[in-house]
Amino acid sequence: MNNNQFPTSRGALRKLLLVLVVVAGVLLYAYGWRVTDISLDETQDQTRQTSVTRALRELLSPNVFDQDRDSEFADAYFAIGCPDDGEPIPQPERAEGEPYIEISPDCGERDDAITVTGHHFHTNADAFVRWIPPNGQSRPMVRTDVDSGGYFQTTISVPSLRGGGDEFHTIEVEGSWPVGLPHLSKTTETVIEKMVETIFLALMATTLAVPIAFVLSFFAARNLMRQVRMPAGDVLIAFILLPIGWALGDLLVGPIGALGVDWGKDLVLGIVGPAIAMVAYGGIARVASTAGLQEGTVGHRARKIGLNVLLVAVIIFTLGAVGGIGIWIGDKLEDTLLSDLGNFVNTLGTLVDLSISVAAALAGALLVSSVGTSLVRGGLRYFEGPANHIVGAVLGVASGTLLMAMMAVIANQAAWFGLLPLLVVVILAMQDLGLIYNRFTGAGHRDEANTHATLRLTLQVAVAVVAFYFAYRFLDSGRLIVDGRLPSALKTEIGPFSVKTYTFRAMLMGAVLGGIGGWLLGIHRNFPLGMTVYNTTRTILNALRSIEPLIMGIVFVIWVGIGPFAGVLALMLHSIAALGKLYSEQVENIDPGPIEAVQATGATRLQMIAYGVVPQIVPPYIAFTMYRWDINVRMSTIIGFVGGGGIGFLLQQQINLLRYREAGVAVLAIAIVVSVLDFASASIRERMI
Amino acid sequence: MLKIEHLTKVYENGVVALRDISFEVPDGQFVVVIGLSGSGKSTLLRCINRLIDPTDGRIIWNGIDITAANDEELRLIRRRIGMIFQQFNLVKRSKVITNVLAGRLGYTNPMWSLVNRFSTHDRQMALAKLERVGIREKAFTRADELSGGQQQRVGIARALMQDPELMLADEPVASLDPATSHSVMKYLELLNKEDGITILCSLHFLSLARAYADRIIALKDGLLEFDGDPADIDEQRFKDIYGEDAVRVEIA
Repeated sequence: MNNNQFPTSRGALRKLLLVLVVVAGVLLYAYGWRVTDISLDETQDQTRQTSVTRALRELLSPNVFDQDRDSEFADAYFAIGCPDDGEPIPQPERAEGEPYIEISPDCGERDDAITVTGHHFHTNADAFVRWIPPNGQSRPMVRTDVDSGGYFQTTISVPSLRGGGDEFHTIEVEGSWPVGLPHLSKTTETVIEKMVETIFLALMATTLAVPIAFVLSFFAARNLMRQVRMPAGDVLIAFILLPIGWALGDLLVGPIGALGVDWGKDLVLGIVGPAIAMVAYGGIARVASTAGLQEGTVGHRARKIGLNVLLVAVIIFTLGAVGGIGIWIGDKLEDTLLSDLGNFVNTLGTLVDLSISVAAALAGALLVSSVGTSLVRGGLRYFEGPANHIVGAVLGVASGTLLMAMMAVIANQAAWFGLLPLLVVVILAMQDLGLIYNRFTGAGHRDEANTHATLRLTLQVAVAVVAFYFAYRFLDSGRLIVDGRLPSALKTEIGPFSVKTYTFRAMLMGAVLGGIGGWLLGIHRNFPLGMTVYNTTRTILNALRSIEPLIMGIVFVIWVGIGPFAGVLALMLHSIAALGKLYSEQVENIDPGPIEAVQATGATRLQMIAYGVVPQIVPPYIAFTMYRWDINVRMSTIIGFVGGGGIGFLLQQQINLLRYREAGVAVLAIAIVVSVLDFASASIRERMI
Repeated sequence: MLKIEHLTKVYENGVVALRDISFEVPDGQFVVVIGLSGSGKSTLLRCINRLIDPTDGRIIWNGIDITAANDEELRLIRRRIGMIFQQFNLVKRSKVITNVLAGRLGYTNPMWSLVNRFSTHDRQMALAKLERVGIREKAFTRADELSGGQQQRVGIARALMQDPELMLADEPVASLDPATSHSVMKYLELLNKEDGITILCSLHFLSLARAYADRIIALKDGLLEFDGDPADIDEQRFKDIYGEDAVRVEIA
């Protein structure tokens, strides 16, 4: 008995809860109903119904086609105010076989009805009746159909015109009929032109986004990045060396790239120069490899570093030369039939020219930090015990300072970027507290399931709040976040240097938090570098993806002006974010077996990606690229609404001018292109997956 | 000489896969690791080439501490240790020859190999290794068009490209039928006897282990349950390793 009742009472409670949930749901829905102004009165309004019927009718009869027309004219005279003598008004001469009209009466007052009869008109023509007052300003009166005998009859009423007087008014009838075959209208031609622009806009945006998204997708794939762990000391040294390498690369390799561009502009030098450089590199590499150094020795390592530095210089030089050659070819092709190709090559060359110094700096940064790390790594191994923590603290101070200096630079760009230093301080403080907690309680990172985890998280949240409050006050962030102003320009003197107080304080906090973290972590513990990169990439991609391309379009229109280029940039940026995420999910779904197998052979990480990952992801990548192109075509049809070019721009203009029949053509074109692409991309995807 | 000292592995979810395992393998031995599913066989093999990082303990191979190696040193160690897998772990969409050449990646210039360029020597070598495992004529077919036994032979050819001194075989025949199992095991035996490659192979079936092993190591719940001559596994030892309810299944 008891056994039976217990579930029943629970059931009753559950039912009550269900009813409450339903009631709450209905209330919420009702609120939504009101907020969105759902109103039946508006839909029933008579004038609105008339307008919408007209607009729809015009939209649904797009003037896709046009036909040439012939016309013929016939006139009659009319007097406002009949003459006193009652004489008939003199009418124009009638020629044999020509059409003519009769009116009755031939004189009268405004609003009088006039019967117009036409004879000998072109059979089945359209007859347009117009009123032409003495001043010659014609006004249309009525349109009627001519019957198969060339005859029509219609009634008009005398319009209210000022003046009048003695002069006669003319009633003109134009008989008009189509000749020849129907052809595409002017509107259609424009629409087709714009549609081509739209499709290519989408194609450009997609193809430009693919390589960037391809690279990013590996950084946003959890399964690949989770393995990337390095001793904390190596990570910190690599990080500290990044700006040094950047400066060195810009200073030393940048000019080599610029030289490459200059040489490239002179075709012969541009081909011979890099060729000699590459041959020289090959020769040096061959000679060096005969030295027979043992792997892992200092000599072997030095040779490897030297060759890598040389290789970077040669690559940057060659890249520059290729850019220069592009510019040269572009100039030569400018006035020929291939001017499109010339412009394309020229722009690519100029792009290389513009970006070569950044590429050089980036290459320098990566090279210096990887070389530096591998050089120091051997030495770091000997720091044991307290020295481990002291070195950790020193590196931590340097890295923390550098990190917060970078954040401060970003915060100086726009007021709300001031949130970034605060966020970093909070994250650092939470990590430090986690390390402190583990140190004093002896809990490990792996104790995730026990009470340590809960307590640690509680303390971390508390510290996060405190750190946020302190950093907010210390950096005077109210000025940025509440007032929307940039950080104050006040400077702090540190010895011979003078730094913005804001930047200095940020660096100070970074130093303290980095120092604590570095001390506790030491240099030998593994640092989850990969997951840090993964989280950063994912956050940026998600943030970018949540901004609609239409909004990005507005920004790009301000930057590069109204036109399809702004649309390309907006859609490209959004596609990078969207494809980056889709691609990375494909990487996460691959069979881990081949990765494991390739790793076991002693392959480097890049080789592992090239041989274990890439072959597996090619089909889904192609499918998603098609899918994205499809989406981009849809998006590009409306990106024009904010000035992004393509058919949307035309559509918006026609809607604003109330030319719904023309707008109808654009709508029809969009519907056709989108459904054709939809079908095509679906069938291609089906075949690929 | 491979020396395992107090090897322990605790996964992040708290599962203890290996508890304080110690043993030594002299060069040229054919060692079979047996045990139930989940007893830690795969973890043990993967710790040796650090596909899994051990929590504690050391692995010393030819005097080098594998557990202390950094990325670059690890790469140099890994390329002397071949590995074959239960699921073969081939890139199914790639050609057989590409899969075999992947075994050479540790020796090639990283830049050139990215654009799929291998030296003539490596290509000849790949064909020779395929010849050795008897499927040279399949070199240019896609890996997924091969039968299971053929795929495992591609796996062996890939491992041979490394010129390994040690071969780890993680249940190499668990996905194959009995007849094919024996042919794959025969290839491993050949490598052991002819090339003197040390082999560490995990297997499910005791009968297979007995047929090929110089020595058997048995794991149970992460503990070393037995280490010795195949002939020493009697009925009682068998029940200790596989549990009271276990019945011997012979594989012909």
